[in-house]
Amino acid sequence: MKKIRNWILIFAGCFTAQAVSAQVRPPLSVDINYSIAQPLGSLKDYTDKTSFRGWSAGLQYMLNDQWSVGLRSGFQDFYQKLPRAVYPDKQGDVSAVQSRTLQVIPIQATVSYAFTKPGSVVIPYATVGVGTANMNYEKYWGEFVEKNNSWQFLVSPEIGINVPFGKASPVMFNANVRYNYAPYKYADITNFNTVQGNIGVKFHLN
Amino acid sequence: MKRTLFLFSAAAAVVAMVSFSSCRKDPLKDMTNEESRIYITNHDSTANFTSYSTFSIVDSVAVLTLASDSAKKALTDYDKKLIASVTAAMQQRGYTLVNKAAKPDLAVNLTRIDNSYTNISWNPGWWGGGGYWDPGYWGYPGGGWYWPSYYTVYRVNEKQVAIDLFDLKNPKGDKLTAVWNALWRGSGVWTTGNVDSMVQASFAQSAYLSKK
Repeated sequence: MKKIRNWILIFAGCFTAQAVSAQVRPPLSVDINYSIAQPLGSLKDYTDKTSFRGWSAGLQYMLNDQWSVGLRSGFQDFYQKLPRAVYPDKQGDVSAVQSRTLQVIPIQATVSYAFTKPGSVVIPYATVGVGTANMNYEKYWGEFVEKNNSWQFLVSPEIGINVPFGKASPVMFNANVRYNYAPYKYADITNFNTVQGNIGVKFHLN
Repeated sequence: MKRTLFLFSAAAAVVAMVSFSSCRKDPLKDMTNEESRIYITNHDSTANFTSYSTFSIVDSVAVLTLASDSAKKALTDYDKKLIASVTAAMQQRGYTLVNKAAKPDLAVNLTRIDNSYTNISWNPGWWGGGGYWDPGYWGYPGGGWYWPSYYTVYRVNEKQVAIDLFDLKNPKGDKLTAVWNALWRGSGVWTTGNVDSMVQASFAQSAYLSKK
């Protein structure tokens, strides 16, 4: 009960903070980005191909000129086909062309901090996203698939810039670099590490 | 009004992106028949493959289908090719082909399996009964097959081909022990033109299977 009251107080405080700040653009924004991701660490041993099949999208609410909170999701598809090789297995030796895939769908809450005032020409910022990710592991042995689907904790620090299309424009160009980490363990993967580049746009909604 | 329009277009964009996510790269569409196939080989690690000198191979191929528990024997062009190709590979490894009446050390059984419409555990014991190559063919009437515990079960639901090598030199009572096995799965395993490359791949990954 006390916890709920505290939350209400925090939210009330946030709205008050927002209300007193000078508004350059409306507080609610939507961002949509195209994503490219490079696997690192043990994920790289599983599939080391850079993924060009991804996107990220989110909603953000500005609490004041510096701080915003939000919610985001996205998708990234990792894929690598290996030439035919013989894999010793507890069930014998298996000769196969392996196609190693992983699809990731994150759902994260975000907190962002802008380093400059909303009126600036370029607004550099930092974000931390914390939440969960659906990991869909599919390793094909020839045409036969070994599957695993699970939800994992995912944390994603990010730095980027927003460049408004003109002073006080509600539309901004966005570019950022994000690091994703999940303590994901399955077969060859001992943890999930990627660095992700995103470019897109951010609209402030009237 | 403007706001509604904005929200509407944002929602449309999200929907478009979610549907885009189903456009993942599909491994099955990026695969040739050759790449779809897997070759599984298994062997008895206690068997001494240099201790065998001669072998004999079945004169036709057993075909197992779902329709019945018993196999029928077939000798199609594919089967002739399979017999010839496995024979050549065995000879290349230093084994001498003899007539089965000449007491060969190794027996080679060939089986095609068609389980296209269901899931049946591929348990070698499952076909130990009536229809499969009768040990009587190899001079052990009323005998059986002995599958050491290293043979594990694969689930199957498609066409396969199995090559099984049995030890005729050291029968366990009236049971013959499997010492080597190859199983082919995937697209085109019943295609005559693929036989040579599949036989070669199976022997290549089984360097221990040699008289030399």
